[in-house]
Amino acid sequence: MAPWMSSGLIYASGLAMTAGSITLLYIVTRTFNFAVASMATIGFIVVYTGVSLYGGLPYQYYPFVLIIGAITGVICYYGLNRPLLYRKAAETTLMMSTLGYDLILLSLIQMYSDYLTYTFKLFPRRVTMSVFDFELYGESAATFILPITAIACLTILHFFLTKTKFGIAMRATIENPTLAGASGINSDRVYLVSWIISGSMAALGGSFMAMAMTGTPVMGMVTIPLMFAGAILGGLGNIYGGILGGMVIGLTEYAGVYFLAKQFGPWILGYRMGIPLFIMAATLLVFPRGLSGIPLGKIIKNLFGQKRGASA
Amino acid sequence: MITNESPGGKIKGLFSNRIVFVLAVILAFLAFLYFSRGISIILTILIQVTIFSIITMSLNLESGYAGIPQFGRVAAVIAGAFAVGAIPGRIMAAFMGLPAGAEYASDTVNFKLVPEINALLASSWLVSLGFLIMCLVLAALSGALIGWLISRPAIRLKEGYLGISMLAIGDFFMWVGHNWNIIVGGSTPVNVPDPFRVFGTDRFTVIVPVFFVIAILIFIYLNKLTQSPFGRNLRMLRDNDLSANAAGLNIVKVRTQALVIGAAIAAIGGGLYVIYTGSVAAIGLTRLTFTFWPWAYMMLGGIGSNIGVFLGVFLLTILRTMIIIFRSTWFGFLLQVGIDPLWLEYTLLGAVIIIVILFMPHGLVPEKIAPMLPSKRIKKVLADRQAVSK
Amino acid sequence: MLTVKNLNSGYGKLQVLYDLNIEVPEKGLTVVVGPNGAGKTTLLCSIMNIATVFSGEITFGGEPLTGVVTHKLAQKGISYVPQMGNVFAELTVLDNLHMAGYMLSKAEANDKAAQMTEIFPVLKKFIHRLAGTLSGGERRMLAIAMGLMKNPKLMLLDELSTDLAPIIAERVMVEVARMRDELGITILMVEQMARRALEIGDTAYLLVSGEVRYSGQADSLLHEPELCSMYLGIKQTAGKGGSAKLSVSDEGSENS
Repeated sequence: MAPWMSSGLIYASGLAMTAGSITLLYIVTRTFNFAVASMATIGFIVVYTGVSLYGGLPYQYYPFVLIIGAITGVICYYGLNRPLLYRKAAETTLMMSTLGYDLILLSLIQMYSDYLTYTFKLFPRRVTMSVFDFELYGESAATFILPITAIACLTILHFFLTKTKFGIAMRATIENPTLAGASGINSDRVYLVSWIISGSMAALGGSFMAMAMTGTPVMGMVTIPLMFAGAILGGLGNIYGGILGGMVIGLTEYAGVYFLAKQFGPWILGYRMGIPLFIMAATLLVFPRGLSGIPLGKIIKNLFGQKRGASA
Repeated sequence: MITNESPGGKIKGLFSNRIVFVLAVILAFLAFLYFSRGISIILTILIQVTIFSIITMSLNLESGYAGIPQFGRVAAVIAGAFAVGAIPGRIMAAFMGLPAGAEYASDTVNFKLVPEINALLASSWLVSLGFLIMCLVLAALSGALIGWLISRPAIRLKEGYLGISMLAIGDFFMWVGHNWNIIVGGSTPVNVPDPFRVFGTDRFTVIVPVFFVIAILIFIYLNKLTQSPFGRNLRMLRDNDLSANAAGLNIVKVRTQALVIGAAIAAIGGGLYVIYTGSVAAIGLTRLTFTFWPWAYMMLGGIGSNIGVFLGVFLLTILRTMIIIFRSTWFGFLLQVGIDPLWLEYTLLGAVIIIVILFMPHGLVPEKIAPMLPSKRIKKVLADRQAVSK
Repeated sequence: MLTVKNLNSGYGKLQVLYDLNIEVPEKGLTVVVGPNGAGKTTLLCSIMNIATVFSGEITFGGEPLTGVVTHKLAQKGISYVPQMGNVFAELTVLDNLHMAGYMLSKAEANDKAAQMTEIFPVLKKFIHRLAGTLSGGERRMLAIAMGLMKNPKLMLLDELSTDLAPIIAERVMVEVARMRDELGITILMVEQMARRALEIGDTAYLLVSGEVRYSGQADSLLHEPELCSMYLGIKQTAGKGGSAKLSVSDEGSENS
């Protein structure tokens, strides 16, 4: 495998999870969740604390990551998002409120990092998580495990949304909250569950990303524009679009930097953030509704000359 | 804010009870700081208040009046800071026959160059004044240019999309400055020639009134602007862009104007900031300091009210400074477990945003819609009309 | 069965309904007619607690409804079919039915869905298709079936006939009358197709600018030529009265 591919895949799986988390929350509650930044960092901090204090592999701490991510989501929902949703607050207000929550989380993460340094002589400000990984077929195991985990998570999510009663009720609420309410679906519970899923997805995504980049208490804060870029690239219309968008953003960043640096020299490394943003801008110019707005069905139909099937 | 009542009512409107109360709190804090730490801390606070008032007023124009979710305020601030860091010094260097090209910003040359320029500036207050004005004009121009460039692709996007795009653009600017050595030295900060060198040790004492005058001029300009028909257009756009469009308002044009004017003013703020600190470090121009804090100031002060913005900036700057000064005396319990109390600044910022949104959505000074003309003029116009019709 | 007393309601700060009194008798078909913007839909939204109720009282079988969360109203046996977006376009027909019967148990919901496909054979044909791909008339049938899924005691129907071809609208009306006659469901119906609705209805209310202008027997409203022509766009062609000789003129004469 090319050198960029391994870390690019890991990084992209992480971005896909965080972008999916942003998209899910946006389509359910109209909230652009800034707190995804700190939720992702929390994912990294939890894994780091686990492996450095108790040993073992990073992967065995993922259940804790999911639980703690879900808890941060629930706190944000009950403390902040729920009162604003009932007040029918504007989109910008919802966005600002999660920013406030994000900053409080960030300060707690920073304090916790100080505490780790002081009490356990650990240094969470510059961590290469991949040293805790083991090797598989000449690559770090994360190259295989993380994309597979991501796909497994998405399959579970897909199954949940299409096959379970509550999942279908969630989709119903997303599409038409009024009718869903009149049908007896408790929208409060739908919002709560979406915060839980979104919180754990963001935290898991953060712990993935830490396997490819330097883990710091501000890693979420630094990468949040890319997470949003992934969600926007996906069109913010459906979760799969967001996940795909995050994947594309992550891979183009790594591939782009690798090939451009080969062409023009290493100075291009400093502008790596510009590559995915450029991809986002270019895609939005061609497809204003993002990747999920691409009329794939139409294209396939034209290619194969198929008749319109019974299912859309 | 000017109300439409009699002169007595005007004063009352200007200094309603709440404003007086907040001002009293601010003065009490200032007095406390003065007696415990001396004058220098007061000067630092005042300088920061003026700079951030300017930046927050520009944000208020775009987000408060025009309803644009400006999450990339830092981009325009960076434009101003870079312009002041890169151009006036080079002009002076070229004028004095010193190296003014790409090597100006290199750290081995810059630290020798700037003292020479400073020596020239210190020799005459007239040259210094000219230099300051040149800095401000350059900052405003580059800010306006950046504002216009950003507005091109962004202006047609919806609420959240627009905010996120601007956030990303702001970050990208910071990385460009951090990596492209030629502008402001990249990762090594470039020094800025100091137009206040002429006053020697009284530097800060002079900076305060000068910056205050600039801030007040901008305040007056913005007040005039928001009470003109243009300001009415902005509010119309904010409250309902669809009906504003239906009423014949060119949304793209009005929004572009708001973005350009706002960016120019924010860039002046950025320029003043680097003149005050004496150096430009791209990595220090973060979205936290120059986008999120201004948002918190604006929300606390009251969206759509410039007096409120001033109070919000003042109050929060004092609180921030107090966290920094008293971190070891007040927050010793944190230090005992190795935690740096400086992180409380983030907590404060987050808590202010949340508390304002949840419990006082209109801020300290709620927006008042004043009529376009003072009541005296309206009465006069009406009387004239009646006289004509008779 | 459903009583609305001195209702003042609207959206946010905007008041739409003023001091409204409405009585829906059990097992009857109550029709609410009126020009656009009269507040007909707001009335239903107030009952469902979707709009903001400022003051007034809404009781259902003696039980107060004001302040009850929307999703709990469905459990009380009230079923609401909105005018726009009355099906989940991105779910299949079967999922739509199951969602409509959300608070039923799985076995119950399956039974009920089977029953609905008996009543509306057209749904059986398209049971696994997305509701968004159905035609207007089929969607309306699905909406009614979704309303019936909950075993409702009271159904609130909002302008079921809008944007339908006249012949299909007529069929929808027939279904509504059948629900009252065969299933014994109490119905409160808001309708634009005033003449047809008043013919099948029992009691009627004429709503103008948020106030009740007429209340009483449904077909006697058709004998009020002034109200009919002013607010409903119904002209009496022969001038002798009698519902058979009424015709529907263009609905542009309405004002709000």
